[in-house]
Amino acid sequence: MIPRHFQIAISFLLLAILIAGIFIIELRHSEEVKTQQGLAAAPEGPEAQGKEETIRVLVAYDDDLALRWRTTQAFMPDERDLRARAALRAVLAQYLQTPSPHPLAKGADIKDVYFLNPDTVIVDTTAQFADGHRSGALLEEMTLTSLIETLNANVPGISKVKFLVEGRERQTLAGHADLVSFYPVSAVHELAREFQ
Amino acid sequence: MLIDPSHGGDDKGAVLAPKIFEKDLTLSLARLLRKELEERGISARLLRDSDTTISLEHRAELCNQQHEALYIALHAAEPGRGVRVYSSILAAPQPAVGSFLPWDSAQSGAIARSNAVARSISRELQKRDFKTLELQAFLRPLNNIVAPAIALEMATDRADVKSLLNSKVQSAVAAAVASAVEQNRERLGARR
Repeated sequence: MIPRHFQIAISFLLLAILIAGIFIIELRHSEEVKTQQGLAAAPEGPEAQGKEETIRVLVAYDDDLALRWRTTQAFMPDERDLRARAALRAVLAQYLQTPSPHPLAKGADIKDVYFLNPDTVIVDTTAQFADGHRSGALLEEMTLTSLIETLNANVPGISKVKFLVEGRERQTLAGHADLVSFYPVSAVHELAREFQ
Repeated sequence: MLIDPSHGGDDKGAVLAPKIFEKDLTLSLARLLRKELEERGISARLLRDSDTTISLEHRAELCNQQHEALYIALHAAEPGRGVRVYSSILAAPQPAVGSFLPWDSAQSGAIARSNAVARSISRELQKRDFKTLELQAFLRPLNNIVAPAIALEMATDRADVKSLLNSKVQSAVAAAVASAVEQNRERLGARR
């Protein structure tokens, strides 16, 4: 026969475990929603390298589902790969500010840009760029279109772009937009025109 | 034809509101669409009829193996209102090797019919007062599908998610899509 006080202690212990479990599940769920919404985003500006220039960036606006050209100041190095990275980071800086026209998750960044040959570029992004991206066909297409068009505007001669996440290939950005294929810049240009 | 309720299982898709996931909404819309098509005498199957995980590659494989007349992927996400209708955007298609089509541009032979179906669906949705946006985009797995292939995305703003859950709204979308498919039956060679 188990003593009564022992039974009560076990019951309290089980109840505490149950409450802690529910709390952890709720916490995880709210963090997941937060990440999806990019609510944890904080501004991160581009690194100061090269000469300061006024560049054109194509910015996505969620409010009216449009992409619009804007000018911004950015430090632009002469080397093509660094210049490409600086242009892409200038767009991301627009999205990481508060309030943001198209929120991305905190830590979304461009790790590196590699030219496979003079017209084909690989853009390596951080895990947060993809993991924290809100899921949705249009939202994902807007992000990629804005990046590719900005790249094309500031680094001439690029015809194909592919995105990696932490150096690895992914199927999609956040469940919809293709990250396996090389994006043809001419086709993206047509898509961008439909958004403007 | 094959209806693909996108996402499922571990892949929740968009989180439309706490505990309201894209994967559930796409499945409910898919079932309604199948019903509407069958009422019009069009044979339709669901790629998944339960909460299971299926990879994008496998979705395309299943469609290609069954020689489906049409593939429709269903999505739901923020932001906006109405329904967005997508067909594939392709770079210059790679040449076929013998009887094998290149995986990344398998859609190239069907792209004209995909666009025609997308236009019909947009028109039918507009007739029912839905705001529509028709785009050619880089969505997986559209490029890997041999048959005409389109994707639909029911759009919602966070404050209005309940409207997407409304069965009348879903039924109206399903009826519009089924009606457009019926109009294109000859072009698609859909089985009765």
